[in-house]
Amino acid sequence: MKISKKIIDNLKKGGVDFYLSVPCKLLANMIDILEKDNDVYYSAVPREEEGMGICAGAYLGNKFPCIMMQNTGIGNSVNAIVSLLQLYQMPVVFLISYRGTPGEPVGAQGGMAKITEDILQTLRIPMLHCSSENDLEKISTFSKHAKVVESPVAILCDFNLMKDDK
Amino acid sequence: MNRFDLLNKIQNILKDNLVICNIGLPSQELYKINDQPNFFYMLGSMGLSSSIGLGLSLSQNKNVVSIDGDGSVLMNMNTLATIGNRAPSNYTLLIIDNGSYGSTGDQRTFTDENTSLKDVAIGAGCKNVVECSGDETVNELSKAINDQNNSYVIISKINSGNVKIDPIPLNPITIRDRFRKFMGIVKYL
Repeated sequence: MKISKKIIDNLKKGGVDFYLSVPCKLLANMIDILEKDNDVYYSAVPREEEGMGICAGAYLGNKFPCIMMQNTGIGNSVNAIVSLLQLYQMPVVFLISYRGTPGEPVGAQGGMAKITEDILQTLRIPMLHCSSENDLEKISTFSKHAKVVESPVAILCDFNLMKDDK
Repeated sequence: MNRFDLLNKIQNILKDNLVICNIGLPSQELYKINDQPNFFYMLGSMGLSSSIGLGLSLSQNKNVVSIDGDGSVLMNMNTLATIGNRAPSNYTLLIIDNGSYGSTGDQRTFTDENTSLKDVAIGAGCKNVVECSGDETVNELSKAINDQNNSYVIISKINSGNVKIDPIPLNPITIRDRFRKFMGIVKYL
């Protein structure tokens, strides 16, 4: 819970006040925290691409949105990222559970893990890779950076960082 | 009645509301009929008009109308489940259902065969789902917007067919900023 709490605290410190998720077991604690938090909006959504659209609308309505998802969700969302969020220069934080990184028990997750950073790089999306607890301190500044550069940004949280966050 | 005729008929109702308009011909036609700063024209991301409008309605109190199409809703059908569970009372989804992919040459969609978006919307949990003719749409849309206590999904059944039209000349940041200026968020324009 400590890691998840720290992530949410830093996102909120960075100004993020509107949260969506497509669930992942590594995000479960964060979802629990957000469901009990009356200061911010939180909802689950069925699909990441749809979530990108809802985030775009939330930005138009003066919220600072974040979508939480597995890295597989990036694959589901490429066109929405490019032809909506980037086209109209909309700041959105992607909080990504980085499935398929060392510690991952499910071999099939390895495929998307191998290309996740390449996709984000191709899309020119700034990345913050969190592999230890110390990295989490950078999340608030990094989130604010999304607003300054009017761009989506991606925070990748390694499997091993999240797995023992009981 | 085709989409251009319908947009012409409803333009006055849209005036004071925040409007998210679907990519392609719907936006180009609305732009040509009567361009307004409170119209957010989609230039990409087919399928997401309903979702953008939903995010906007959840974030502030003004009325929001998402203008969508049957082809686009078929592409992002999970949106109806999200709307059915989360849409606030300031949200109206208008699906212009002409049974065809108008912007790509009027190929038939599945709503011209076996699929009923009304039944899908009801099954997905949407409240106040109305299917109506193009002529009835003016009244149904006014009713939906004026009802401060409920969200609506209106499926307007019209004919396919397009008018010859040019792409929208506005750049995306102009569309974004004048829309947010209308809302009082952008002060620098």
